[in-house]
Amino acid sequence: MSEGSDTAPATTGTVLPRAFCVRRGGIAMACALLAVGLIFVWQASLLDFGGLGLPGPGFFPLLLGAVLGASSAVIGLACWRESDEKKTVELGHYDVLVVFVALLAVPTVFEWLGAYLTLGVFGAALLILIARTSLWLAALSAVIAMAACWFFFQLLLGLQLPTGLL
Amino acid sequence: MTGFDQLIAGFSIALSWKGLLYCFIGCLWGTIVGVLPGLGPLAGMTLLLPLTFGLDPTIGIIMLTGIFYGAMYGGSTTSILVRIPGEAASVVTCIDGYEMARQGRAGPALMIAALGSFVGGSVSILGLMFIAPPLAKVMIAIGPSVEVVLILLALAVISVVSAGSRIKTATMLVLGLLLGTIGLDNLTGAARFTFGNANLAGGLSFTALAIGLFGVSEILINLEKTEAIKAIRPKMRELIPRWKDLRDSAPAVGRASIIGFIFGIIPGVSHVVATFVSYAVEKRFSKHPEEFGKGAIAGVAGPETANNAVTGTAMIPLLALGIPSIPATALLLSALTIHGVQPGPLLLTDHPEVFWGLVASMYIGNVMLLILNLPLVGIFVNLLRIPYAWLVPIILIVSIIGVYSVNFSVADIWIMVLSGGAGYVLRKFGYEMAPMLLALVLGDRLEANFRLALTMSGGDYATFADKASIIVLTSTVGLLLTVQGLAWAFGYRKSFADEAEGA
Repeated sequence: MSEGSDTAPATTGTVLPRAFCVRRGGIAMACALLAVGLIFVWQASLLDFGGLGLPGPGFFPLLLGAVLGASSAVIGLACWRESDEKKTVELGHYDVLVVFVALLAVPTVFEWLGAYLTLGVFGAALLILIARTSLWLAALSAVIAMAACWFFFQLLLGLQLPTGLL
Repeated sequence: MTGFDQLIAGFSIALSWKGLLYCFIGCLWGTIVGVLPGLGPLAGMTLLLPLTFGLDPTIGIIMLTGIFYGAMYGGSTTSILVRIPGEAASVVTCIDGYEMARQGRAGPALMIAALGSFVGGSVSILGLMFIAPPLAKVMIAIGPSVEVVLILLALAVISVVSAGSRIKTATMLVLGLLLGTIGLDNLTGAARFTFGNANLAGGLSFTALAIGLFGVSEILINLEKTEAIKAIRPKMRELIPRWKDLRDSAPAVGRASIIGFIFGIIPGVSHVVATFVSYAVEKRFSKHPEEFGKGAIAGVAGPETANNAVTGTAMIPLLALGIPSIPATALLLSALTIHGVQPGPLLLTDHPEVFWGLVASMYIGNVMLLILNLPLVGIFVNLLRIPYAWLVPIILIVSIIGVYSVNFSVADIWIMVLSGGAGYVLRKFGYEMAPMLLALVLGDRLEANFRLALTMSGGDYATFADKASIIVLTSTVGLLLTVQGLAWAFGYRKSFADEAEGA
């Protein structure tokens, strides 16, 4: 008979999701897409449209921007007519927010601090904040990981990553 | 050289030490990617994309393709042992595969899944070998107007068959086409939507977008789940199936090979759809349909075979037409382009070694996977013991390095991060990312061929309704309607796949 084995939970963080009404969120998403479409239409109108027979660089994006705007409006209208206000979607889980904020910080300092220092701090921060490891274990893991990355990417593959402050 | 001679030449590349090594790396990494929930074949391929930069294009594509079909093999392992699909296409296998595991028959389930995958993969490779060359010859003879019709048809089909709301899918398609216009216009060199930023002159990095939309967003979504993973661990001696299992699964494997083969060619049809259709067909044909859902071997054999049969045939539109039908082949197209090889009708004449080397390596990879999957199942189960919170930093660090190394531009990391966040929110509200990515890849060619066709015809739109276009359009639409009609007749409903894609 086969045996089973327990594993640690995938994540054990405090989660802070906030429930957002699907109807309102759907309308907001549709409005965002509509705005994207209108921006493309606006910028495309500044380009050479050409003619129907010989389209210029502005033809395609103008047409697509208009279609995007129209389809977003249809989606928004469908969401607005949806009567069920109880259906929700959760956003803002703690681990998700932590990872996303950390990801935003990476390109900000990537070339200034250097690839290995940035990614080392990034990895250690995630281990502490979402994997709930101790500081020394996170630091040790980050050093080992960066050494492995340097060996694999720089020595073996010849990829020159920015060294920054190092 | 005849096709047979070219296949022999392809085997000489695939059987070289580099070909075998990188095929093995791809298959092994693909299996690991398939086993680990939350890391799909697309993310797995992108992570190893930088590894291909110093390689010959053929060897690089052999490795990336190995990851692609390796992931299909690996996904069944977690479906059967843990009831968590390693990737979306293995959702159906959870139904009967896990029930078999609970009954102490995990070994036969794994073995039948592996054998079915092998047969399905082999059939699809044969299809690739025999269909792609004549299809490519036909494509060379037709002009840009027919290519426009084909691409529009592909986009329309994606819009209809993809999971989720059709209007939302169409919106994502249009958004993908729009994002593809960012950068310098191919025909006039005019800067479009760059806002004076030199980093955007070449357009948005496909790799960064792919990793962001599929990899980062998937990680963010998986971070919300906190279920413990309890894996059933089979013993090696239990892997041998009974004669009855082989007899019961043989017809399912045969039917599923054909189903996967046909569905693989249709653009936008993910592996999920083919597996659901196969399951529906097996249940319809079974003498004991009441056994489905309770550990029916055909419920494992069919979907897993169909899953792998899609993989090879999905390469046909990519290699013969230059039209990727699923996101993974879109990444292969991007990888080939980075290496200076343009997939499409001229691939077989300009770079036959790439096509035939790939075909030969798929035969070899298929055998490798059959050998790899079963003895190493214990190792793969142990991988599932690694807490997801530990995997996240590793995956993200490798992703960031991979994305940066394509153009050595920090702008690509920004694109990855921002598209990841956007993808996360869009998916929460029911928008699919695959159509956007496919449209992004096809948009450039659609616009270029559209404008070229009009230039050649002197601005006459009737060029899009010429005889060749109509023949291609009607025969393709006829085939699609037939296939969809048959699937419906066997009890497949789009809602099943919608639920699975959202699982």
